[in-house]
Amino acid sequence: MSEQVKRAVKDFILKEFLPGEDPANLTDDLPLITTGILDSIATLKLVLHLEEKYGITLEAHEADKEHLDTLDKITALVAGKMK
Amino acid sequence: MSSILPSIAAPPLESGHKASIRLIDFLLVLAQLGLVLLLFRQFQIESAAFIQLSVLAFAGFAIHSWLPLPYRLPFFALLSLAGVGLVMGLENGAWLIGIGVVLIAICHLPFSFGVRTGILIIVGGILIAQRGAFLPAPWSQAIWPILGSMFMFRLLVYLYDLKHEKTSGTLSQKLAYFFMLPNACFPLFPVVDYKTFRTNYYDDDAYRTYQVGVDWIVRGVIHLLLYRVFYYHLTLAPHEVVEPSQLTQYLVSNFMLYLRVSGLFHLVVGMLHLFGFRLPETHNRYLLASSFTDFWRRINIYWKDFMQKLFYYPAVFKLRKLGTTKALVIATLYVFLMTWFLHAYQWFWLRGTMLLVWQDVLFWAILGVLVVFNSLYEIRHGRKRTLGREQRTWRDVAKLILRTYATFWFITILWSFWTAETLSDWFSLWTALKGPYNAEFLLFPLVVLAVIAVGSIPRASMRNVRATEQSQADWSRQRAVTVVALVALVAVGVEDVATKLGPNVATFVHSLRSGQLSRLDTAKLERGYYENLLSVDRFNSQLWEVYTNKPANWLDVDNANLKRFVSGFQRNELIPSFVFNSRYGPISINRLGMRDQDYTDAPTPGTYRAVVLGASSVMGWGVADGETFEALIEARLNREFTQGPFARYELLNMAVPGYEPPQQLLPFMKALDLQPHAIYYVATGREIKRSVRYLANAARDGLEIPFERLRQIVQVAGVTRQMDEAAAMRALAPYGAEMLMYIYMDIVEKSRSRGIAPVFIFLPQVRQGQWVEETPEILKIARESGFVMINMDDVYASHDVTTIRLAEWDHHPNARGHEVTAERLYRELMSLRAEVFDAAKR
Repeated sequence: MSEQVKRAVKDFILKEFLPGEDPANLTDDLPLITTGILDSIATLKLVLHLEEKYGITLEAHEADKEHLDTLDKITALVAGKMK
Repeated sequence: MSSILPSIAAPPLESGHKASIRLIDFLLVLAQLGLVLLLFRQFQIESAAFIQLSVLAFAGFAIHSWLPLPYRLPFFALLSLAGVGLVMGLENGAWLIGIGVVLIAICHLPFSFGVRTGILIIVGGILIAQRGAFLPAPWSQAIWPILGSMFMFRLLVYLYDLKHEKTSGTLSQKLAYFFMLPNACFPLFPVVDYKTFRTNYYDDDAYRTYQVGVDWIVRGVIHLLLYRVFYYHLTLAPHEVVEPSQLTQYLVSNFMLYLRVSGLFHLVVGMLHLFGFRLPETHNRYLLASSFTDFWRRINIYWKDFMQKLFYYPAVFKLRKLGTTKALVIATLYVFLMTWFLHAYQWFWLRGTMLLVWQDVLFWAILGVLVVFNSLYEIRHGRKRTLGREQRTWRDVAKLILRTYATFWFITILWSFWTAETLSDWFSLWTALKGPYNAEFLLFPLVVLAVIAVGSIPRASMRNVRATEQSQADWSRQRAVTVVALVALVAVGVEDVATKLGPNVATFVHSLRSGQLSRLDTAKLERGYYENLLSVDRFNSQLWEVYTNKPANWLDVDNANLKRFVSGFQRNELIPSFVFNSRYGPISINRLGMRDQDYTDAPTPGTYRAVVLGASSVMGWGVADGETFEALIEARLNREFTQGPFARYELLNMAVPGYEPPQQLLPFMKALDLQPHAIYYVATGREIKRSVRYLANAARDGLEIPFERLRQIVQVAGVTRQMDEAAAMRALAPYGAEMLMYIYMDIVEKSRSRGIAPVFIFLPQVRQGQWVEETPEILKIARESGFVMINMDDVYASHDVTTIRLAEWDHHPNARGHEVTAERLYRELMSLRAEVFDAAKR
């Protein structure tokens, strides 16, 4: 389940924010917020996508690097919400 | 309450990285810090207090890095508290820490979050009333700016995290966060995020974290030195902008003053790295912003993150039912509205007054709208991102450079609008566009283009990654850059080395070696003495920091009504027969309107009489009766010059605070009635600009100018009542020297025709450095006018200015300064005895 979420999130990020990027470069622990890949607009797009796709609700304070900085963290957040 | 109990054994977050350092690496870092300290001293980086704090921090680092990990954070917290005591003194430090601890404790009271917030609002309200002087406070005013900088924003972040986090951290984390070490020196401090402060603590290899800290400190020093280049050498006043080349210089240098903020933030965050806090970058090459959203993301990143966390996301999440676009637009505008408000709030804590000016409102409103449009564009078209080196064609690079160039100039124009003292000042700048368009005009546009072009070369490295994740090549390159920059700066800072590079280089380097006020800020400071014009309502002026230290009731003589208004060109004069007891002792005005003892209308036989004309330094601003250099010299002449040509000596002090050269012609006419043997005209610098400003304002105010030549100059220059000050000064500036020549010659000719010796005394303000703006020109004009010349421009050169001036914010001589002046002037007068005394006897 987690792997499926991770793969889907990765596909979304590659398609939306990193078109043309080699998927191998987007590793599970690559920081996305601190490196500027996910800025406020991109973070918002990602949150809306996650909410819509997985039927979950995210809080404003969760839109930070503790929860969304890497694929691993995003996956954990989504998985935690889906339980 | 348990969470605020001491918990020194609590380990930091597990990061899996090495928290220890090898001896060789430690010594390498320590050696670099030694050079950094040398650099701080050579260039007097910031203040003496900051250098002391740096010694404490670097010595603390040497101990901290060898402590067992669980003891490091408590040690840093204690070091931070010690830093507060070191900078603020024991009593003020204790008050500051006490108030801070109370605020932190309130956050942890065993009540609901809402009740705790309510209590904090009440306590905050009391502190606001005290800061605004509506309620008395038992502590010194000096603690407010630092207390404000520690708690005004960090408490909001802390509360937010307290509401949403499972754990609030240990006592050491809390104390370290609020009182963090370098903050005691800096009223302007980056808004560090509490969660980041905790989670990034030793989350990378210790040595590499420390080394990155050194990199940042060096980068900060480079920013600060570049700032000084602009601040001292390139900034212009609006009325000095008359050509397109000066307009571009004005725009660029005005924006570049921001280097001070970015430099300080680099120093602060670099220092925190030395204690294991691997905080992210505070700025990201903001000159290379290629759009308004990009600019907002690159400049003061901590502020952007703070606003995003506390205002943007909560708003946008709440509004998302309206649709993404609407939510985003409203939330963005809300962020800029709050940014404006919080800047005013910040200003209140630092200065004790609210900052409410139109430029501020309009600046944030315009920037907010531009960012909204940019964001909408990005939503629709996306933004190019990459995980490695971006593959760009020449066409891409050219387009990027063009976009960045356009953004840069747009921002500088907006920035000039924001920082202009008045809207009319800003509008009058653009008259310079009329021309001429010569080669000089291209200088700044080409330099900016070159900087942007070089900066736009694609880089492979990613931002904010852990140093251990960097490639070895990047790591080695950064080490080389830091060490080379450090050694080069230290070498240039050595006087012998700078001298070997030529006199021009040596003079230039020397000018960068102190943190004094620039000529423009000094002029504002001096103007502020008399006009209560504290026109520093922006954070990028060094002057506001000086004013931050100034007590609200500094020199009660301000409000003593020593002067009264008179109609006409003279505007004001000292009130005759008036006595006031200032905190510096009595100030007595005699029946003739002089700050002096009483004198007869004409000198008695055998008495030498000289009338002294000047402004506040001569009148004796901030010293008691009898302590002015004029009074000291008079006493000494009567005591020691007994073999002189006269039996008695009288020096009549006709100086009036705030008097400008054109005004001096009126007391001079009165002085002639007192039948003096000599007129001592004391000039204290910038006589030309001050004359220009005075005449400009006299014409704008419709005052009748009682001197034909000055009237003609106003007419020829085309100054009218409708003009704003900058435009009028711009029009009169070309006639400045002519104006001063007329004033000096009038004094000389009228004196000589009556057998009076006209003596010109040049007396500088008491301040550090060697600013000699206009001085050679003034001396030349005075000499050519026929004055007997006494040049005392080096009178204070061999003295520590802090011991002979009134205060950092008041460059008048104190009682000791008047003694120094009197000692020198007495010698000068004796050396000119034949012209000044003997000739009068004949």
